[in-house]
Amino acid sequence: MMLWAYIYCYQLTLDSYIKAAKTKRAPRQGSRGESNGSSSSLPSNTPIAVYCSKTNKITQCNDIAKKEGIEIGHGLAQAAALCPYVHILPFSEEVERHMLTQLAHRLYPLASDIVLDNHMHSNSVSGLAVRLDNLTHYYGGHAPLWKTLTQALAEADIRYHFASAWTIEAAKVLALHKLNTYLHTPDDVKKALSTCPLSITALSPKVTDSLARVGITRVQQLLAMPVQELGRRFDNNTIIYLTSLRGETFPRVTLFRPLEHFDNFILLPFDIENTQHLTPFVTQQFEHLSHYLRARNLYTSSISVHIHFREAPVMDINIRSALPQSSVESWLPLFSLRTENLVLPEPATAIALTCQQFEEIDTQNGDFFSDRFNDIAQKQLVGRLNAKLGDNSTFQPHAADSHQFEYMTVTESSAGHCTGNYAYSSDITPTFTFDVPKPLIQATQICFGPVRLHSEWWHDSPTKRDYFIAQTEQCVRLLVFKDEESSWWVQGLFC
Amino acid sequence: MNKSLSVLNNHPHIWRARDQKQSEAKFSLGFPRLDKALNGGVASIGLVRISSLTGVGELTLFKRVICQHRTHKLVVFINPPGLLQSPWLENLGLKAQQVLVVKTRSEQESLWAAEQCLKSTACHCVVLWSNAVNPKEARRLQVAATHNDALCLLYTPPQQQASQLGYPKADMGSDSQANLSNESGSALPIALDIALKGKPHALAVNIRKQRHGWPKDNIVISHRWTPDNHAIKWAMAHNTLSDQALHSVN
Repeated sequence: MMLWAYIYCYQLTLDSYIKAAKTKRAPRQGSRGESNGSSSSLPSNTPIAVYCSKTNKITQCNDIAKKEGIEIGHGLAQAAALCPYVHILPFSEEVERHMLTQLAHRLYPLASDIVLDNHMHSNSVSGLAVRLDNLTHYYGGHAPLWKTLTQALAEADIRYHFASAWTIEAAKVLALHKLNTYLHTPDDVKKALSTCPLSITALSPKVTDSLARVGITRVQQLLAMPVQELGRRFDNNTIIYLTSLRGETFPRVTLFRPLEHFDNFILLPFDIENTQHLTPFVTQQFEHLSHYLRARNLYTSSISVHIHFREAPVMDINIRSALPQSSVESWLPLFSLRTENLVLPEPATAIALTCQQFEEIDTQNGDFFSDRFNDIAQKQLVGRLNAKLGDNSTFQPHAADSHQFEYMTVTESSAGHCTGNYAYSSDITPTFTFDVPKPLIQATQICFGPVRLHSEWWHDSPTKRDYFIAQTEQCVRLLVFKDEESSWWVQGLFC
Repeated sequence: MNKSLSVLNNHPHIWRARDQKQSEAKFSLGFPRLDKALNGGVASIGLVRISSLTGVGELTLFKRVICQHRTHKLVVFINPPGLLQSPWLENLGLKAQQVLVVKTRSEQESLWAAEQCLKSTACHCVVLWSNAVNPKEARRLQVAATHNDALCLLYTPPQQQASQLGYPKADMGSDSQANLSNESGSALPIALDIALKGKPHALAVNIRKQRHGWPKDNIVISHRWTPDNHAIKWAMAHNTLSDQALHSVN
């Protein structure tokens, strides 16, 4: 017999909200300065309900909201009438799928065959099916296996109902019935199934109606009927469903495959206008990333943070580190430096952390000499400076293939193609050149020159300049030139 | 009382002018007169302030300090007054891989970058251009440099040191103010504070303050750092073959 567990996550949106609010609250306790805390973060005794605008129904609500009388299935008006100060969260299938995927990612190291179930019969049911019978062998029994899975689910901090049965469909019916018991013998499953009402099965309302008319309201009665009899009256889909409920078919489902890159999405519990307030949530994501990388023995040198807004397009922030690293301590400072001066166009509603490129930890390339630490220190330094000051703030000057002062030096940090074989060396090169020559306006005395330089013939506007080194009254040495119109310009300084 | 004073006297951070014992490492500048006045040269670690106009040869003066020590580490130029030219660096003796230029948008960013560079342990020397540094910021850089075995050269414009350079201004009214600013300017807790003044083919160095030593004014050193037409002029002056000069360069 196959054995599938169905984990019915009935309030994913609410759970993720509560979790995010919890992480936000924890660092808040220490800080006194944040006065807007009360407005953005709700106290823990607020009634919260998740509202689906498509069906005009409350789909999830917390215990406090239930105490106020709000029930799942109420309309928005009814909920508001029962409790005027209820906090409403919007329901989004997209977001729920994202969270379900994350849960699957969490379980994947423990169980290989996982089926995501939230679009198959979209009546706002989201759950995971996990195949168990092939795992018991590795875990040494049903109890250790189930303990391990529940442990992981507890870490994920979500509420769920669960059940196990011979097929996904049967397990789902039992989970929706809130059985919450781990069954692994066919007799137990049969007994449990027999009490379930037909209304919670995935049969279409038309089918259940016609069955109810002949007095069949429970799964037990239905399963007792011979298939040939039912086959005459109902369509093919119904029959397929019934056979799978009996556990007579082999399931044809798409198994969950984890992504090859890291992708973490968090719905923020409230709108955030200030990048500093993003930090606790990003820290959480960096923790996920570091666990992910540690488990795979990988490093990464580039990550991207995507900030989602209500109206404005998603803001992508790419952060690069000169040195591949994995820890929260190394990525968080880079992130905070990078976003220090960032202004959000409008309040952020969600953030995602993705990482596409990984690097393997190479144990061979390390030696124990100081140069290695120096190299790492240099890379870290460049990473830090770029994170705070912008990507183009640091460069190494390289010699280029030109005899003209304005093209002698290239500043691209990645000018690896510049071999230096043809580098033009000159003993009258100034220390610094200006971006554009300035008119010479002070009295100077020429102490060297002239040196006549023509621009290369392939340049659009050929120039012919006579260069001199001139000295002002304060003995400041300048690189000056006289152009073809006999006007004088300062181009550089000798320091 | 006497006992407590003698205890105080033994404190290693108290320096008396009669002590000539020098334990700290120095980098020679290559100019004997200047090195002697500086008790051997520039301190190998710490913050050195150089007040001068840009372009009097203030970088070339430190050629030996920048190029000949700790060559496996970086030399960082922060907020330079122009685009640093690689042929000049080559002439000075610095390899391109050893040089890093950092462009900043504000004084605060420059100071932040300088401190990060000094603390990174990847830098031999940080060359920083800044208009004004207050004692607190100077102290931060000094501590960052000494703790990480690095040198920081801070270039500032010369304006506020005018009276101390020995070139008194005509207006005596602003003297007290000038003195005040000098007081605050020279009170920086740093290893060495010097002012440079360019002279034709020479450089006048005023040691305004140095650790473990006396200030000394007007040390003139011969300093040629750009090519000049000396040879041509000499040749023209000694030209006896033809009496008509083609062109006067000077």
